[in-house]
Amino acid sequence: MKSKARKHALVLAALLVASGATLARGVYQQPEAFISDAFAGKPPVATVLWLTGAMQPEIVRILRHPYALQRVRFWHSGARSAWVLEEVGKEEPITTGIIVNQGRIETVKILIYRESRGDEVRYPAFTGQFKGAALTANQELDRTIDGISGATLSSHALTRLARLALYFDARSREAK
Amino acid sequence: MSRFGAVLSGVAAVLWTLAAQAAPSTDDRINALSNEIDQLRAEVARQGNSGSGSATGSGTTLGGYGEINYNSRTIADDATADSTPKIDLRRFVIFLGHKYSEDLHFYSELEVEHAVASSEDKGEVELEQAFIDYRLGDSANLKTGLFLIPLGILNETHEPPTYYGVERNFVETLIIPSTWREGGIGIYGEAAQGLRYDLGVTTGFDAGKIDNPNAGIASAHQELQFANASDLSVYGALNYLGLPGLRLGGGVFTGNTGQDGASNPLLRGVSARLTLWDLHGQYRAGNLELQAVYARGTLGDADKVAAALIAASGDPTLIAPKMFYGWYGQIAYHVWKKNDADVAPFIRYERYNTQEKIAEGYTANPLDDETVTTVGANVNIHPQVVFKVDYQRFKTDSDKNRYDLGLGYMF
Repeated sequence: MKSKARKHALVLAALLVASGATLARGVYQQPEAFISDAFAGKPPVATVLWLTGAMQPEIVRILRHPYALQRVRFWHSGARSAWVLEEVGKEEPITTGIIVNQGRIETVKILIYRESRGDEVRYPAFTGQFKGAALTANQELDRTIDGISGATLSSHALTRLARLALYFDARSREAK
Repeated sequence: MSRFGAVLSGVAAVLWTLAAQAAPSTDDRINALSNEIDQLRAEVARQGNSGSGSATGSGTTLGGYGEINYNSRTIADDATADSTPKIDLRRFVIFLGHKYSEDLHFYSELEVEHAVASSEDKGEVELEQAFIDYRLGDSANLKTGLFLIPLGILNETHEPPTYYGVERNFVETLIIPSTWREGGIGIYGEAAQGLRYDLGVTTGFDAGKIDNPNAGIASAHQELQFANASDLSVYGALNYLGLPGLRLGGGVFTGNTGQDGASNPLLRGVSARLTLWDLHGQYRAGNLELQAVYARGTLGDADKVAAALIAASGDPTLIAPKMFYGWYGQIAYHVWKKNDADVAPFIRYERYNTQEKIAEGYTANPLDDETVTTVGANVNIHPQVVFKVDYQRFKTDSDKNRYDLGLGYMF
């Protein structure tokens, strides 16, 4: 038994040493760097969108829960706006950078992923599905987003954030 | 004004100008305070907004799932049909987790089955997961404790809204004994983009504890309850998840089950190696979902195990399987969606045999060689709340044909 246990321990130790793998949890880009990149290194001054009482029911409809913030900072230049938003996947918030251009998603990028599994949502194969997506009249995306197998909740959370960014972008233009 | 007074006035004016330049404006102060408040609100929101688990504060999370099922017929341990319809609170499960730091987490899953657990009832209280998960720098995640074995699709993802059909499929219940957990230590991470690996050393099965030969090897499962640990097992799994909607993978679990005769002295010195492996795939494109699993198990020294079990129990049907297998294919299609509501009919075809080969001189139970077709629908009123209905047709034993209704939830 002792030799068996030693063998198992050695196998595991070797695996630990040999593993050069990456991990689910990680900071893939700092939000400040995302905003800077979004505007070619010259980000505009941040603007604040106040979330009025009239907007709250729509926000709840998109997120399926109340939104704790009463204002959201964003950066915009011409028809483009950039947003850094968070939504919980399974247990932890996913910090996501989203660029909207002329009412359509230009970029969705996972900036910080905190769950132990499901980080495959960060791959361009998944986030690329949002490119060009716009909101329908009832605040849904105009296309189906295929989720990552085994990361259904994270996939749903990112779809909600894309809808939220498009909704915020539209409201920010009305506010001007 | 004297010269001194003029100088003093000049210095004061310069200092005032400098001070005015250094002090933030009212707008700047409001912006700074707004940002601070936003950050605090966001932090509070992180504690409160949730997908499947909600924070209770201080990094502790609560979640859960459950199901209540109606079966027009049920299946007894001897694989025969019980024609009495039953409604059962099948499961009530609480997830409790805690985040000590960004890198150190605790996860657990506590389950009550069949509503009431006592010496006079059939219910059970089970701890299905309780482990510490630790991020080892940039190289791997380590988990240790009681955790789920990564074989098949259902074993690790078994909340009712995540699978089709009122009951869990037979292949991932009888061949892969979901909910299958072991105590041990494992590592997992991403070997390449989208390619996830799991490896580990855990407790294994105890062949001397087999008491239901119709359930494959499931009844030899120790569940970390005074688990005999003379023989440990190892497992490994690979899954590719790099494309939306796609999952392709497989796993293997192997280890001796004789446990040095701890449960049955006749098994002292008998290896009785169990090897269980599977291949699985899942694909979703638009409204179409496809899923398939193939699983196979082999048990060495099955003749010695059978002889030991029969000698100890006196029950001639208490045999051990030499080989057992199963597979299924499933198609689902989301025919209607509106807001949170979603209706998805499905069909699943399963083929399994828990006694494909047994030791020579013994007779296999023909009821263990079965083909089941399940047709039904999942009706979600919320992504995490589902009503289910299905009809199951059994080819070998049509007495088991039944229809089922279910309510499932997770949070």
